[in-house]
Amino acid sequence: MSTPSDDALLVLFANGDPEAARMLTDRLGPRTFNVAMRVLGNRAEAEDVAQDAMMRLWRMAPKWEQGQAKVSTWLYRVTLNLCLDLKRRRRTVDLDAVAEPEDPACSVPERLQNAARFDALQAALMELPERQRQAVVLRHIEELSNPEISGIMDISVEAVESLTARGKRTLAKALAGRRAELGYSDG
Amino acid sequence: MADEDLDLLFSQARDTRDAMPSDLVTRMLQDADAVQAEISAPSIPEQARPHRGLWAQVQQALGGWAGLSGLATACAAGVWIGLAPPDFLPDPVELVLQQQMEADLFQETGLGIFLTEEG
Repeated sequence: MSTPSDDALLVLFANGDPEAARMLTDRLGPRTFNVAMRVLGNRAEAEDVAQDAMMRLWRMAPKWEQGQAKVSTWLYRVTLNLCLDLKRRRRTVDLDAVAEPEDPACSVPERLQNAARFDALQAALMELPERQRQAVVLRHIEELSNPEISGIMDISVEAVESLTARGKRTLAKALAGRRAELGYSDG
Repeated sequence: MADEDLDLLFSQARDTRDAMPSDLVTRMLQDADAVQAEISAPSIPEQARPHRGLWAQVQQALGGWAGLSGLATACAAGVWIGLAPPDFLPDPVELVLQQQMEADLFQETGLGIFLTEEG
C-alpha cells in the first residue's frame, strides 16, 4: 500500500481522521522541532515553536488546497518565522539549555564525545548570522534542495548557494581548533 | 577543519534529527484532537436557534426596552400637551376650529343668492 502524501493526510485530518494527525505528527513534528532547535539553540523554546507551528498546520488544514505548495515547505517557513519572532523578543543565547540527544547504543565515552560534537556544532552554528544559519541547517542537516530552501526563505537559488557556502566556511573556521578535542584523528 | 570532518558532524546531526521528546508528541496530538473537534463540531442549525416573535423583532428594531420607554414617554407627553396645553402655547382645539371657520368661504351667503341673480 502506498504511503499517503502530506497533502492527502492534511485533507484526511480536516475530515476528522485521527490517524492522519498521528501520521503527520510522526512525519513533520521532528523536522519542525529539529530545525527550531538548531536555529534557536534552546530546547524549551524549540519545543514551544514546534508545537506552535504544528498548531498552525492543524488550523490551516480545512483551508489547504491540494497541490498549491508542499506542506513541508509551508511548515518550514512557518517554523523559521516563529523562530525569528522569538529571537527578536530575546537576544541571549542559552547553550546550557540545549540538551544533546542521547544514543543508548553508544558507550559512555562515545556518548560524551557525541555530546561534545553536538555542542561544538551547535555553538559554531550559533555564531553564524541568522540567515546563514537557517540556510546551513536546511541544506546540510535537513538535506533540502537549494530550490526548496529558496522557496522557504523567499530568496533566489543563487542567494541560497552563497549563504550555505559562506556558512560552511565560517563553521569550518570556527571548529578548526577543535579537531582533536572532538575526536577527529589527523590525516 | 576539513570539509570531510564538517560533513561528518552534519551527518551525526542528521542521525538524531528524527528524535522528538515524547511529551512534545503528546502535546501536538492533543492540539490536533482539539482542532479536529472544533472543525467537526456542527454549526447551530436554523431550527435550533431561538425563534424571535414579531413583538421581539419590533422591540429590537426600536432599540430594546430603553428605546421603547423613550418612545412611550414622548407619546404620553404629546397627548398631555395636546389635551392640556401650557399657557404660553395656543389651544390646539381652538386652532382647529379657527381653521374650519376660515375655510368657510360662503359663511352666511347661501348658494341660492347666486342662483337668483343669474335667474
